Amino acid sequence: MMKKAVKYILAIILVLFIASNSIYFKKLSDVKASAAKQFDAAKYARNYLTTQLIPAADKAPQADELLALLKSSPDTAFKMYSHGLDIGNIRFFMVQGQGTVTAVDENDIYILTKDKQALKIAIEYVFGNALRDAPGLININDFTNTMDLNNIAAEVDKIVRAEVLPPIKSKVKTGDKITFAGAFELNQEHINLEKIEVISVVLKIDK
Amino acid sequence: MILSQYRSHLVKFQSLIALVLLCIGIGLLSDKFFTVDNGWNVMRQISVNICISVGMTLVVLTGGIDLSVGSVLAIGGAIAAGLLKFGIEIPSGNLYIGFTLLGSILGGLVIGSLLGLFNGWAITKFKVPPFVATLAMLTIARGFTMLYTKGFPVSNLGDSFAYIGTGWFIGIPVPVWISAIVIVVAIIITQKTALGRYIYAIGGNEHASKLSGINISKVKIIVYGIAGMLAAVGGIIVTSRLDSAQPNAGMSYELDAIAAVVIGGTSLSGGRGTIMGTVLGALIIGVLNNGLVLLNVSPFWQQVVKGGVILLAVIIDKANSKND
Repeated sequence: MMKKAVKYILAIILVLFIASNSIYFKKLSDVKASAAKQFDAAKYARNYLTTQLIPAADKAPQADELLALLKSSPDTAFKMYSHGLDIGNIRFFMVQGQGTVTAVDENDIYILTKDKQALKIAIEYVFGNALRDAPGLININDFTNTMDLNNIAAEVDKIVRAEVLPPIKSKVKTGDKITFAGAFELNQEHINLEKIEVISVVLKIDK
Repeated sequence: MILSQYRSHLVKFQSLIALVLLCIGIGLLSDKFFTVDNGWNVMRQISVNICISVGMTLVVLTGGIDLSVGSVLAIGGAIAAGLLKFGIEIPSGNLYIGFTLLGSILGGLVIGSLLGLFNGWAITKFKVPPFVATLAMLTIARGFTMLYTKGFPVSNLGDSFAYIGTGWFIGIPVPVWISAIVIVVAIIITQKTALGRYIYAIGGNEHASKLSGINISKVKIIVYGIAGMLAAVGGIIVTSRLDSAQPNAGMSYELDAIAAVVIGGTSLSGGRGTIMGTVLGALIIGVLNNGLVLLNVSPFWQQVVKGGVILLAVIIDKANSKND
């Protein structure tokens, strides 16, 4: 009888111990208030774009120089100019330049640079992390969760889609001279320069 | 006499021999196979299947089958992720119940166990064939997962949760530790406890077991409960590895689990089989999957090959049963 009682008491203590380490209680209103104060990716992205991304685009290597280096010495080009938040093969480059439009379709503007290098500039599908990662100015350790980082990339892309591309998309035509600055991604293991597609943060038709 | 002994050894170690031959074959064809990284990769990948297959083995040993493990895996992972990330809100009492890592894991395991227990209850209470009862649960659990997650993944679960599926402990991936614990406990249950003896007895001859005083319903309910809980363990590992509870996680996992059980030599009619056999079966499937990927075999052919291996295993099992 005594043994059984001890068993029950030990079982209850164990359950209470596990429960106390498993759940906690808060006021729902406090939790909601704290959730409202969470990271504002849109605000961060706007600030990042104006104070970091556009200045970085100004200092980016010229497309002709960068493409030539990628052809002649890809390792040096990756070492000197690429950035990335993770350790994968996908790396990001900032780039700027001028070129003549050779074709326009619903997704891209196709240009030839001064040195006759072909490049694509995206005007429809602007997604991914290129503009977030290419300048190498965002430190992954400053963020407690990856969703915030993903949201920054999404918000920067959103600004480009809403503000950078529309003035150009409707007007650009073959033969136009354009100035651009932006970012692109390249797979370090399988370098394919023909597939480069620049996501622009600056894009204008030269007069 | 010697020939008979030789044959008996061959039958006993057929899964192991098949695994060794498979490894040698793939190793000869791909220089990436016998690397430490690939070894850990295979072990990590099969750890989920081992958890599910061990539960499935117990069920199959009783003469049953559990087709719901893939869906139970999904809901187990989703509940664990949902509790950790969102807790439970009770607006009427202005109360928020938050869950720690331990609490969320226990929550997932409890849900998995409850669904498994329900399977066992439906099978024993209403004499629903296990195939039908668990097929119904496959749909029910998937539906509940969709309802709970609203069809969206539950992501960003934090580093502590990610450690379960991606971490290392004493130089070994955590999922491998988890599957090793599951294997050891299951071996102890099947070989050293009364429950284990009852499981084999029920699978061998249910009527005789009943007459000898074994509470068939109780044993079956417990076994299906364990299978549900182990499916939830698999769900937590998958969710942790992906850092995301996917509502469609675990689809067709029941087939890999059944394949591991069958390839491992457990008889689908119950009463015969071992946990270690199932582990070898899971290893064969894992190595086969890995090898086919390394050899750049088309995913369509991979399915054909896997199906062929399962069929071959059943044919061999049948032939062995006949000879026995």
